[in-house]
Amino acid sequence: MPSFARNLESWNRRFHYYLGLYFLFFLWLFSLTGLMLNHQGWFTDLYHRHETQYDPDIETPAGDSQLSQTLDVMRQLNLKGEIDWPAAQPVGHIDFNVSRPNGAAQVRVDLNARHAYVKEFTNGTLHAFQIFHTFSGSRFNQPASNRDWAVTSAWVFAMDALAAGLIVMVLGSYYMWWKLKKRKALGLVVLFLGVSGCAAFVSGVL
Amino acid sequence: MLYRSLRDLHLYFGLFISPFVLLFAASVFYLNHGKLIAGAEAPVETYRDLVVPDGFDRLKGREAVDRAAAILPQLRVSGEIGYLRYVAKTRHVIFPVSKAGSEATVDVDLDARTAIVKRRSMNVMESLSYLHKMPGPHNVAIRGNWIGTGIWRLFADTTIYLLLFISLSGVYLWWAIKAERRIGYAVLTAGAFTFAGLVYAVIR
Repeated sequence: MPSFARNLESWNRRFHYYLGLYFLFFLWLFSLTGLMLNHQGWFTDLYHRHETQYDPDIETPAGDSQLSQTLDVMRQLNLKGEIDWPAAQPVGHIDFNVSRPNGAAQVRVDLNARHAYVKEFTNGTLHAFQIFHTFSGSRFNQPASNRDWAVTSAWVFAMDALAAGLIVMVLGSYYMWWKLKKRKALGLVVLFLGVSGCAAFVSGVL
Repeated sequence: MLYRSLRDLHLYFGLFISPFVLLFAASVFYLNHGKLIAGAEAPVETYRDLVVPDGFDRLKGREAVDRAAAILPQLRVSGEIGYLRYVAKTRHVIFPVSKAGSEATVDVDLDARTAIVKRRSMNVMESLSYLHKMPGPHNVAIRGNWIGTGIWRLFADTTIYLLLFISLSGVYLWWAIKAERRIGYAVLTAGAFTFAGLVYAVIR
């Protein structure tokens, strides 16, 4: 076997191990939360959350945009997370929701009275764990939704990296399998079954 | 013996779920970064003289959905009913029906026995994302009202269980190669720190 092909095989195998080991905990998180999302009946009180309300005075929010004023209110209230504004703001108000996996807050700010009304929610551990699966700060069917928290962007980068890593691992595994002298026939049958099952759904037959 | 058996199972299970893993992985990019651009809607279709089951005014949940599903063949629509809305004032039943590739909104006039159907097709990435999210956590009481969703749930669960098996057997197969242990440990530790650091940053 030429040395290039030997090197490629060797590095492809190592890359398969290393990617798998690096992403192991991410893979377990997304696998287990995927099961949770598809089997909500396994859990009771999954969405039970602790609620607290308070209405502190605040300083007039600094900034000249909705985002900068919201961030200043969040700083004053010590809130962190992904921001979600209503479609329209009441006059003289800044209203927003802020969320992250372990909790959320509904904030209504009366700018004239310099007063905030806050409802804060703390999610249970399992609920928080489940939210990690979908915590992207963006919804493809809501064009106006955008990420505005750097930590969300970092988490989304990790999701993307895991997805890219899995694609590379799958393609590399095809190469490793094809280079085996044995196990081709049964491998082809198994792969055909998987492709057929998947294609039936993607094509819309099922 | 154990090593060989695990290696073979790792290979064959991996080959079987590989198309599903590619589907779930590819759709992540669309779910995280894509934006749905509404295309031109197909012309609205009207269907008359339908055989419409009764009981929509008193039934709820799965029973009502099953009756709505009985109307679908007359409209040449198939797929999962997302939810059901009964408008008592006008005696209309409105519900979305979807499957990978297509989506329809059905509005049935129970008294006139007519239905208006609005259809929309999905592009490939939207279809993959739709499958990624099915059956999902919403409307659990009625989810799986179409056979395709039930089968997809089975495939999705199988993919997850086999992924867990493959990851555990993969760790064993790596561990069995002594020469790879040192670098493997370093990579595993780096992954664990990245994971823990990110989770901590999100929830702190």
